[in-house]
Amino acid sequence: MKPLDPRLLRQARAARGYVVLTAALGFVTAALVVAQALTIAAVLAPAIQGTLDTSRAAPLLAVLAALVAARAVTAWAQERFALRASARTVAELREQVVTHAVALGPRWLATGRGPAVATLATRGLDALEPYLVRYLPQLLLAATVTPAALAVVLGLDWISAVVIAVTIPLVPIFMILVGQLTAGTSERRLVVMQRLGAQVLDLLAGLPTLRAFGRERGPEKRVRELGEANRKATMGTLRVAFLSGMVLELLTTLSVAVVAVGVGLRLVYGDVGLEPAIAVLVLAPEVYLPLRQVGQHFHASTDGIAAAQQAFDVLDEPVRPRGTVPAPALAGATITLDDVSVRAGDRDVLAPAGLTATLGRAAGGRGSVVALTGPSGAGKTTAALVLLGLVAPDAGRVVITTPAGERHDLADLDPATWWSQIAWVPQRPTLSPGTVRDAVLDGVGQVTGEALARAARITGLDHVVAGLPQGWDTPVGLGGVGLSVGQRQRVALASALLGDPAAVPLVVLDEPTAHLDAHDEEAVLDAVRTWRDQGRTVVVVAHRASLVALADTVVTVTSAVEATSGVDTGSAADARDRVEVRS
Amino acid sequence: MSASAGRLRDRLAADPLWRAVRLLDVRWGRTVKAVVLGSLALGSSVALAAVAAWLIARASQMPPVLTLGVAVVSVRAFGISRGIFRYLERLASHDVALRGMAVLRANLYAALAAGRPGTVVALRRGDLLARVGADVDAVGDVVVRALIPAGVAVVVGTGSVVLLTAFLPAAGLALAACLVVAAVVGPWLSARAARTIEVRGAAARADMTSACLDLLENAGPLAVSGRLETRTAALRAADREFAAANDDGARTAGLSAGLVAGATGTAVLAALLLGLPAITAGTLTATELSVVVLTPLAVFEVATVLPAAAVQLRRSRIAAQRIMAMLDGAEPAADDAPVADSAPVGSTVHGGGTAEGTAPVARLDGVACGWGRDPAVTGIDLVLRPGRAVGVVGPSGIGKSTLLMTAAGLVPTQAGTVTLDGVAVDDVPGDELARQVVFVAEDGHVFDTTVLENLRVARGDVTPEEAREALADVGLVGWLDALPDGLGTTLGPDATTVSGGERRRLLVARALLAPAPLLLVDEPAEHLDAATADALVARLVEVCRSRGRGLLLATHRLSALVGVDEVLVLAQPADGGPAAVVARGPHTDLVRDVEAYRWALDREQSGVQVT
Repeated sequence: MKPLDPRLLRQARAARGYVVLTAALGFVTAALVVAQALTIAAVLAPAIQGTLDTSRAAPLLAVLAALVAARAVTAWAQERFALRASARTVAELREQVVTHAVALGPRWLATGRGPAVATLATRGLDALEPYLVRYLPQLLLAATVTPAALAVVLGLDWISAVVIAVTIPLVPIFMILVGQLTAGTSERRLVVMQRLGAQVLDLLAGLPTLRAFGRERGPEKRVRELGEANRKATMGTLRVAFLSGMVLELLTTLSVAVVAVGVGLRLVYGDVGLEPAIAVLVLAPEVYLPLRQVGQHFHASTDGIAAAQQAFDVLDEPVRPRGTVPAPALAGATITLDDVSVRAGDRDVLAPAGLTATLGRAAGGRGSVVALTGPSGAGKTTAALVLLGLVAPDAGRVVITTPAGERHDLADLDPATWWSQIAWVPQRPTLSPGTVRDAVLDGVGQVTGEALARAARITGLDHVVAGLPQGWDTPVGLGGVGLSVGQRQRVALASALLGDPAAVPLVVLDEPTAHLDAHDEEAVLDAVRTWRDQGRTVVVVAHRASLVALADTVVTVTSAVEATSGVDTGSAADARDRVEVRS
Repeated sequence: MSASAGRLRDRLAADPLWRAVRLLDVRWGRTVKAVVLGSLALGSSVALAAVAAWLIARASQMPPVLTLGVAVVSVRAFGISRGIFRYLERLASHDVALRGMAVLRANLYAALAAGRPGTVVALRRGDLLARVGADVDAVGDVVVRALIPAGVAVVVGTGSVVLLTAFLPAAGLALAACLVVAAVVGPWLSARAARTIEVRGAAARADMTSACLDLLENAGPLAVSGRLETRTAALRAADREFAAANDDGARTAGLSAGLVAGATGTAVLAALLLGLPAITAGTLTATELSVVVLTPLAVFEVATVLPAAAVQLRRSRIAAQRIMAMLDGAEPAADDAPVADSAPVGSTVHGGGTAEGTAPVARLDGVACGWGRDPAVTGIDLVLRPGRAVGVVGPSGIGKSTLLMTAAGLVPTQAGTVTLDGVAVDDVPGDELARQVVFVAEDGHVFDTTVLENLRVARGDVTPEEAREALADVGLVGWLDALPDGLGTTLGPDATTVSGGERRRLLVARALLAPAPLLLVDEPAEHLDAATADALVARLVEVCRSRGRGLLLATHRLSALVGVDEVLVLAQPADGGPAAVVARGPHTDLVRDVEAYRWALDREQSGVQVT
């Protein structure tokens, strides 16, 4: 783990500018620290020796005042721009992480990385703020002030410089030694501590349940005992953990004391002048100050670096290359799922396994309805995602055959041109923020009021709208009225009904598994019938018999345990057998 | 006592942070010890600077070396003592905070355990964990990061001012003024900056969070419908707004940092400006001048942690507000019957058919209930007695859970009455109520302990045989046999190792073991496939009936209700408004007479064949 990851500078523009500024301010601070020490010594030494000339003192005091003002300004600038830069850096990384995660697709997000990325993007990256605002400036001061002050001390009194130069390396050496000596103990104790802490929280989280059974009184004693045990364990850990801090403080303060005593004794013998002696005395703590601050903000650094590392881990995930061939016009084309298998998560299960199905090719311009059925977990929704091009199959492919006989592999097609021809109604549709009208018309284009009213009638959206305070103009989505899943489903159905059937010939519907009443179900069935009558191909992930009954073709999706040799061809054959054409 | 002191005391008593800190039950002796140790640590470095300044000035006058002996030893001693005292202070202050946090958690537990039951049962799990976890930590942090550093700053600052005043009163005054700027004005500005960022950034942060989650959760649909670009732009805009809020705060924070840095230099400059004339006038010796000028350089270390302390104070106050709001909500009503020390639950077993004769009867008359101002469900009449099973059906979110919690006396009614054996449930002592009625929540907690101990939550003396039998009743015997240590298997924090369906059945098994004769069970069959779900509910009804227990069951599956005595169908009227009973009666009658019921049942059953 590097204290300053070059990737952070590569990825975040704001961080680059900030590091340059902070480094520059570091140099300025170093110069001011040195100048201030020398000026104080230049005034104070003659004053102590009784040789101060007032005419010489006035300009020096003016210089000192200017230096104090300049240090105040640098401190202001550092803080002023640090906060801003950290907010921008976090924003830049956040956008990159979110965009990259979205590009990695729903399958990657569903492997459990999704919630982790969400936590990282919304809260985790905030750990970069203390790192950038507190730790990084001190790190750069340690790289500027410490050597500059040391160099000046060397020029003033080489013996003091040697003392300092010898003790500085001792700081990391002792800290590493202490760290190694205590690592085993503190890790063991940390585990105990976390376990005890978790137990207290577990009891408290279970309080409503205990309360329901009228058994809340007993565990109170246990909460107290666990709290006490947790305190003891934590104190044990801290006793060890604070040792490294003590070593740091001890070494740095003792070194200053040794320098002061050494200079003092040599003053008695006249081996060193009073003015350099005062300057050394003022500079010695300044040499160690950045080092101590770096140690103090060490946790900020580890948390920040860990957050950045997590962001880079996401950004390092390779994205599947996107196709570049513009998709052919889907109207009249045939889509074939050819022996498609997708590995389910980390398990050795293929869901779907060897799915083969042909969509489209309806006679006489009439649309067709294809129902994907099968037990839960068979991969019905995944099959729909493969068709949408959001999930790449682990085996098999999706082929589009144009009426002219041209064949395209879906993987080669530019997704944007493919998606623009598809309407997708997922199980839990999402609405863009805006009014209900905006949500329905989003991405649909020009629509007459009549068509909108008709779509609303078919899907039952008209009833929903009638119940909203401002009708069609009620804001929904972010900050607006919350619509239930069923109501959002109706909005999405209506939206999918409105698109031009020639431009959007394929509709993919993932039927909601949640409870539907008679009206909800009728709305879904009516929408599917209307799409078919419009001449579209409708692919339905169906859970209900009523929807299956409506289908022209029923495709049974099956899963299979993955054979070590690859795809289980037996079950693939089974899947093909079960494709049954009813109409 | 003067009026203003009284007002101050009142304000302090009302301050949530002060109230929370009092709940920490801090031993002031330990706190004083930590402040003393901290003052010795920082005092060591001030003393080191002062003595070194004297040493150098005196040495330059080339006295006999022996006269410097004491100073030399002191400088070295201060060099060592600083680190050691600091170490001891950190241990002492963390000990104070950790003790306080443990006590606060226990106090919270006790208050919630004794408080109004509805508040506790209704608390969302995430909220509760945040209150007792991070928020208690934040209140504890106020001791380590704010109170003790502030105490140390006062002691060391005052000491340094006194030292300088002894030599040159004007310089002491100047140091005091500079310290006030660095240790009071600076931190105050920092806290203001933090508040600006928080207040102005709150809306932007919420927008940013929802834009992030929207993009990540709906990546697919947004991509297919071509809305990815606009949503990414929305995230960018929210982040820009957030950065602008940060920038606003940064102005104030920058001012604070500049003031603190300027104050240090100004103190030295002032000492020189005041000291030089004094030495000319002969009121100050050369060595004293050295001390007066060089000591301030070390004193300002006391102020370095104070801006962070001020920010911490604010953060802790907000956390304390949330804790106090939870506690105030849970406070028992003044007219609650005092709860006498009762025999431990489980010592009197009501299960196993002993309930007959002393049957408790729960009765709801014209009940309207809900969480907000407007009722969610209205006009409920219903009687629950041992041996009788009642089902409540209706779509998700219509208010079935609220109705059950109201029937259990956990949520106050908005209209009508809930009585237990003719006594209003509000007047029944909590312990007694829990002995008669048990509400089994959908998201009941599975403890980080063994299967058996989890079942013993219902009743302390459940035997392994009884546990096994209860698990068999819910169809978990196969699962139990597959566990490595059977009933002794530890389930892990909140049973993350258990599937949704297994967890739900475990909760039902626990309910069956409860001694209470009346069970109110919320959605027992969620996360189960249709066949298993119906079998589980049927078994639950059968077990309750055969053991003379009353059962009120909320579900959205109709096919499971064949065995219950009465079904209440809840539905929302077309014009919105609270849900009400639209049909009631035995399952078979409803199937015969109510078309919508028959239709829904048909769909459900045909659905069983498809999925």
